[in-house]
Amino acid sequence: MEKAKKENKGFIGWFKDNWAHNSLFSTLFALFVMVLIQSVVMWNNAGSFGGLFPKMRMAWLNILRNNAYAGIIALGMCFVIISGGIDLSVGSQLCALGAILLYLIEPNFGLLLKIGMTGPLAYAAAIIILLCLGCLLGLLNGSLIAFGKLPPFIATLGTMKIFRSVTQQLTKKFTPTVPAGFKAITSTKINGQVILPIIYWAAIVIIMHIIFKKSAFGRQTIAIGSNERAAKLSGINVNLTKRKIYSLCGVMCAIAAIIYVARIGSMDFANAGSGYEMDAIAAVIVGGTAMSGGRGSVIGTFLGMLIIGVMNVMNNILNSVGVPTFLCEAVKGAIIIFAVLLQKKESV
Amino acid sequence: MNLFMHKINKSFGANNVLTDVDFKLNSGEICALLGENGAGKSTLMNILGGVLPADSGTIEIDGKEIQFSSPVDSLDAGIGFIHQELNLVNDLTVYENMFITHLLKKGLFLDTDEMIRKTEDLFKRMDVDLDPKMMVRDLDSSYKQIVEICRALLQDASVIIMDEPTTSLTEPEIERVFAMMRTLKDRGVGIIFISHKLNEVMEICDRYTVLRDGSMVAEGLVSDTDPHKLAEHMVGHEVKTEINTRSGVSGKEVLRLENLSDERYFHNISLCVHAGEVLGVTGLLGDGRSELFQTVFGAMNTKHTGKILLDNTEITVKNTHAALEHGIAYLPRNRKENGIIKDMTILDNGSIVYLPKIVKGLFIDQKRQEELFQKEVDALRIKMGSKFDMITSLSGGNQQKIVLAKWLMSGPKVLILDNPTQGVDVGAKEEIYQIIHRLADEGAAVIVLSSEAQEIVRICDRSWVMFHGKQVGLVEGNDMNEHNIMFLATGGNSENKQKSDAYNVYAG
Repeated sequence: MEKAKKENKGFIGWFKDNWAHNSLFSTLFALFVMVLIQSVVMWNNAGSFGGLFPKMRMAWLNILRNNAYAGIIALGMCFVIISGGIDLSVGSQLCALGAILLYLIEPNFGLLLKIGMTGPLAYAAAIIILLCLGCLLGLLNGSLIAFGKLPPFIATLGTMKIFRSVTQQLTKKFTPTVPAGFKAITSTKINGQVILPIIYWAAIVIIMHIIFKKSAFGRQTIAIGSNERAAKLSGINVNLTKRKIYSLCGVMCAIAAIIYVARIGSMDFANAGSGYEMDAIAAVIVGGTAMSGGRGSVIGTFLGMLIIGVMNVMNNILNSVGVPTFLCEAVKGAIIIFAVLLQKKESV
Repeated sequence: MNLFMHKINKSFGANNVLTDVDFKLNSGEICALLGENGAGKSTLMNILGGVLPADSGTIEIDGKEIQFSSPVDSLDAGIGFIHQELNLVNDLTVYENMFITHLLKKGLFLDTDEMIRKTEDLFKRMDVDLDPKMMVRDLDSSYKQIVEICRALLQDASVIIMDEPTTSLTEPEIERVFAMMRTLKDRGVGIIFISHKLNEVMEICDRYTVLRDGSMVAEGLVSDTDPHKLAEHMVGHEVKTEINTRSGVSGKEVLRLENLSDERYFHNISLCVHAGEVLGVTGLLGDGRSELFQTVFGAMNTKHTGKILLDNTEITVKNTHAALEHGIAYLPRNRKENGIIKDMTILDNGSIVYLPKIVKGLFIDQKRQEELFQKEVDALRIKMGSKFDMITSLSGGNQQKIVLAKWLMSGPKVLILDNPTQGVDVGAKEEIYQIIHRLADEGAAVIVLSSEAQEIVRICDRSWVMFHGKQVGLVEGNDMNEHNIMFLATGGNSENKQKSDAYNVYAG
C-alpha cells in the first residue's frame, strides 16, 4: 500500500498532509518501517530476492495466526481504553473461560456429554454458553468499576488474580483433551492453509469497527472517555454503558478462548493467556488510542496488534543477524517506544 | 503601610474592564471592595497581586511607586493574596504548608523543629489555637483560611487581600475568621475584603469602595451607609431598562418541588414552574441553586429528602438518563468541563443526548441524525464551518448553542439552564435570551439559574432568590429589579423571617 503511493508526485506534501490529519497514518507508517526491517533481514537470510516472498508469506501467516487471540482481545480492550478504563484481567478471563469450555466439551466426561449432547449441537451450545459467561465475567468487572467506584486498574488487577487462581485450583486433576470435531473450527484448511483464525479475527475487526463508528453505544463510549462528567450531564447512563463496555471485552475474551482451545487442543492453566493483557494494551496504544481515553480506533488497534506481532517474532529475526539472545528483549522494548514516538501526539 | 492605586486601566481586547480606578488602603484598616459579578474587582486585585499587569496607572506603597511583574514581586512588597480557592496542600501538615515556598533546612534534611517553633510563635502572637503538626486535610475551611493568612504574615505581608473568604464557611467559622481579621487590624495590617454579603461588610469593615462596570462609583466610611445604599451603588441608579416584555402567560403546572432538602447544599425548597413560563432562580456563590437543580436532574450523588412532582405525579430521578426519559433537560454551567465533549465533532456533540432514540435496527440513522441536527442549527442560527469539524473549533457562544441544541433535540418538558450565558459575548447573549423566550412561548417550562441579577430581570417572568441554600424571597412584576434581588441575595432579608415565611406560603 505504501509502495504504491510512493509514486505520487508531491510525495513529501502528501506525506506531511496525512501525517498531520490522519491519525491512522503514523501507525501505518510504523508498521511499514517494521515490515521493511523484517524484509531486509529475511532477504539477507534467503540469499536471493526471489526467495524472500515465500518466506515472508509463511512468516506473516504465522504472525496473523498466532496473534489472533490477543488481537481479538485487543479489540475489546480498545473500547475499554477509549472509555478511559483498562482491563488487566483479560488473560485470566481467557484462561478461566477456556477451562469451562474444556469441561463442557471433553469427549469422555464433558458436561454436555452427560446430558446427551454430542457433535456440532454440543459445540454450538458450548459456544453460546461461553459467550454468555464471558459477558458475565466482564459484567463483574464493569459492576465493580461502575458501582464500587473502584479504579479500573485495581478492580481488574484483583479479578485477574481471582480468575486465574480459582481456575488453577478447580483444574488441579484435569488433563483435558479436545474432540477432533471441535478442533475443526479452526483447523479446517482453506487453500491448503490454516487460516480460519485469521478470518475470524478479520470478521470481528470489521464488526467492532462498525459498532464503534455506527452505533449509539460507540459514540457514548467516546463521550465517557473524553469527558465523563459531560457524558453524565448529557443524559447518558454512564454506569450502564461502562458495564456494557467491560461485558463486550469479556465476550471478546470468550471468542479468543474458543479459538485458543480449538487451535491449541489443550490448555496450560498456569500460563494460558498470561501476558495477553500487556500485548492487548500495547496494541491499543501503539494503534494510536489515547491512554487517557476519548480518542482511538478499532482499525488502529488491529494495525497495532500487527506491530506487536512482528515485534514478538523479532527474537528469531534479531538472533539470525547476530544480536545476542539476552539483548533481543531490549530491542523489542525499543521498538515499542519507537512506534509510539512516531505517532502524532497532541501537545497539552 | 499605606497603599494607593491610582488611575488603573485595564482592557482585554476591545473590552474595557477597568477605567481610571483609584483605590486606597491605610494600615490597620479593613476596606470592603464591592461590586456585581464582572464589575472588575478580581481584575483590580489581580493587578495588585502581580497576577496581571495594568495597561496604565500606578501603584504606590507609602508614597513610593512600585511595579509588579509577578505574584512573587507583590508578595515581596508585603501584599498577601488569599484566593477564593485556597492554595494549601491537603496532604501536608500545617507547618509544612506554612513554609512550603521556603522550607527550612539543616544540612540535607528539613529543620522540622525550627519550622514548628516558628509556626507556634506566630500562632501565639495571632491568638490562633491550632496545632502546627495537624494535617491540613483535617482542618475545617475557616482554619484553612487562617493558615493561609498566617502564611502570608510569615512572609511579612502587611496588606492582605481576601477574595470572598466567607462563602464556604458556616456561621461559627465566619466568626473565627472575623476574630482573626480584628487581631490583624490591631497589629496594623491592612485588609482588603471582597464580599457579596453586605451584612458582613457592615459588621467587619471600616471603609468601602464600590466598582461598577470597571469604574469606581462610590467610596466612604461604612458607618455612614447602610446595606440598601450599598446595593444601590452596586447596581447603579439607572437600572438598564431592557426588561422582560413577555406577556407572561403560563399554562398548567409542570414541575413542582416540595420541601426538597439535601444535608449540605439546600434546605426545604418548595417551588413550581408552569408550561410557558420562565422561572429564575438566583443568588450568589454558595447559594445551592446549582446543586438543587442537579438533584432534580439526577446528577448529584448525595441523598435528598422531599418530593419532586412532574405533571402532578411524584417521580424519583435515579440518574441523568432517567431525567432525560422524564423530559427534564439540564444545560450545565462551566461549558468546558460539563458541556462539551472535546474529542467529538460538532454533529456528534449536538446529537449525543438524542442518539439512542434515532437508532434504526442496531445502528444510528445517520440521515435522521443530520436532519434533526440541521433543524436545530437553523433554529438557533449556529454558525460553523463543517458539522464534521471538532467542537473546539467553534466560538464560545456557538459551542453553548450546540450544548443547548443537544437538549432541544430531545423535546424536553422542563428545561433547566444553569448560567446559560457564561463566557458568551454580548451579541450571542441577546440571541440566547430570545431563544429562551421562544422556547417558553412554544410551551416549555424554563428555569434559568443565574447569578447576574440583570439577566434574571431581562428574561424571567418571576424569580426566586436563594441565600445559603434557603429560599429568601420571590420577586416578580415591579418588585423584580436588580436592587431587590441584590438585597435578598446578600442576606439582607435573613433576619426578616416573617417576610420569607410569607413568600413560602405563596409558593405552597
